[in-house]
Amino acid sequence: MSSIMKIENLQAKIGDKQILKGLNLELEPGKVHAIMGPNGAGKSTLSKALVGHYDVEITGGDIIYKGKSIKDMEAEERALEGIFLSFQHPVEIPGVNNAYFLRTALNAKRKHAGKEELNAAEFLRAMKGHLEALGMKSDMISRSLNEGFSGGEKKRNEILQMLILEPEVIILDEIDSGLDIDALRAVSEGINKMKDGKRSFLVITHYSRILDYIEPDYIHVLKDGRIIKTAGPELVSELEEHGYDSIEED
Amino acid sequence: MKLSSLKDINTEELATVLDVKGRKALLDKFISLGLPSKKSEQYRYFDIEKLLEKEYKTLNYVPQTIEEGEKIEIVDGVVVSAPKGLRIYYEACEMIDTEHFDPLYYLGHLLSPLTIKIEIDGDTELELLHRFTTSDTLISYRIVLYNQANRHATLYEEFEHEDIENTLVLYGYDMHIAQDSTLRVVKMQSMQDKSYSMVASHKVNVAKNANAVLKSFDLGGGQALQLIKVDLDRYAHVDAGHLLYLNENSKRGTVSQIVHKGEHSTSKQEAKNILDGDARGIFDALIRVEHSAKYTKAEQNSKAILLHEKAYMAAKPQLEIYIDELEASHGATTGQLDGKQLFYLQSRGISYVEARKMLVIAFANTLIETVKDTRQQERIKTAFEKVFYEGHKELV
Repeated sequence: MSSIMKIENLQAKIGDKQILKGLNLELEPGKVHAIMGPNGAGKSTLSKALVGHYDVEITGGDIIYKGKSIKDMEAEERALEGIFLSFQHPVEIPGVNNAYFLRTALNAKRKHAGKEELNAAEFLRAMKGHLEALGMKSDMISRSLNEGFSGGEKKRNEILQMLILEPEVIILDEIDSGLDIDALRAVSEGINKMKDGKRSFLVITHYSRILDYIEPDYIHVLKDGRIIKTAGPELVSELEEHGYDSIEED
Repeated sequence: MKLSSLKDINTEELATVLDVKGRKALLDKFISLGLPSKKSEQYRYFDIEKLLEKEYKTLNYVPQTIEEGEKIEIVDGVVVSAPKGLRIYYEACEMIDTEHFDPLYYLGHLLSPLTIKIEIDGDTELELLHRFTTSDTLISYRIVLYNQANRHATLYEEFEHEDIENTLVLYGYDMHIAQDSTLRVVKMQSMQDKSYSMVASHKVNVAKNANAVLKSFDLGGGQALQLIKVDLDRYAHVDAGHLLYLNENSKRGTVSQIVHKGEHSTSKQEAKNILDGDARGIFDALIRVEHSAKYTKAEQNSKAILLHEKAYMAAKPQLEIYIDELEASHGATTGQLDGKQLFYLQSRGISYVEARKMLVIAFANTLIETVKDTRQQERIKTAFEKVFYEGHKELV
């Protein structure tokens, strides 16, 4: 099957430190790819490189998305084209109303797709079902963006954005960190709802816990800036048992 | 009249020029402080000398019949209308501060022997419009605002102009907030004429157990400085907030002294400054805690966002403390928009310019939203967005 995103020999650094050292990965449509690896392997740098974060300088290789290189695209263009990152630590922005932010983002996406923008009433109607599904109180969208939100609320708000923006490549960076079991279930249900056989998911995680809720199709082991092994979900139990040091490079 | 000429004449001549008439103590105070210059601490960042060097026309202030109107309207320093039943009249000011730090406070009083006195005797909301219609003129007037005991009032102050080119406005309040009362003054200034200047020199007395809420939203062009001295009695409180949005080569800001005189008095002062172009923002604020003010709580903070490399913020928060039994903090930060916040918005498909606009407005909103009345809040937000868009047409 042809890939929706192809990462070719990607090399990237943050500051003076070379972190990604020739990373190759193909994301297949409709599949859940999990990236696992030890601390410092380059997992978060990979997610930042894919969405065009200003910290990351791509020094070699390419990122091909739907047949086109995106490595020189601005972050907002990548988002409008359908790439979404759920942040490990979403920032708080006092003074930016959450509903206003969500509507601005949704309307930017709709405008890019040549669709009519939604007014406030239409937007609120569109939001209602998503809020209920995620177990979010309606007052959360009238507060400032992420300000004073608990860890779980922030992650739910990330998933809410994912649900309304309907991206095609979804990168989940440590989505389970800081979540209690109920929040993890709600967040996972939101993610699973997005599975439609076309979207790709890249689940970046330290631990296998999230993979009990979001079933992966592929496990990729990232070590020292490169994918050293790709296998099916059975690799998770091997990693749990023996750790990353036991993994032999393919 | 050229104000700088006042420094070259002797006391007798000054007494004639300024029509002192029994107010020699005022004149002595003015002479002892001297005309402000670039060496004066309070006017260091303001280029006051240029303003004093200009030749201005002067006006004859003839009190006229005050018409009934929805708001208090002062045109070129003269009251033309006021709400029915409001006690507003002209009278010599009897409660002039003898320890004010600003020489123009005294000059303002000397130039305005009759002040506009407003007595607030009820829980009420008032609107005051200052309107200016003459160019190349020195417009000088003072207002005495007296809030009766146990009353809770709000004054919304705004400014308009028909013609104000090269005019210097020298005005100010002497506010007396009586025991157990609250006075909120919300000032919104958005006149965009680049050639006028304004010096507003205020004195605020907050009596025992009274509250002063002083919020200013300064979005104007040109040069303006507000100088505020607040005296706090026992259990008195002041909550001061100053939003500054400047563009091009505007120079504006706040110089203040909050003096804790009574025990258990509290103060909170917050400045938010957004500076673009080669604008200069000023926040020079002193909190002084006197020996008599045990158990004071004082908090002071200034944050500035520079949107252009040539913009400059002169932030100088200061504490002067003479006792140990207190809680006090102060701080100032100057920086650019937060890169993480910008990126977060962009990562959701929001353009760089739109994200920048959202963050600037958000920064301002945190102060605007401290205004309790939602209608007034919206009015200020709308004015801010209008002025901001005008300066950033590429964002619209």
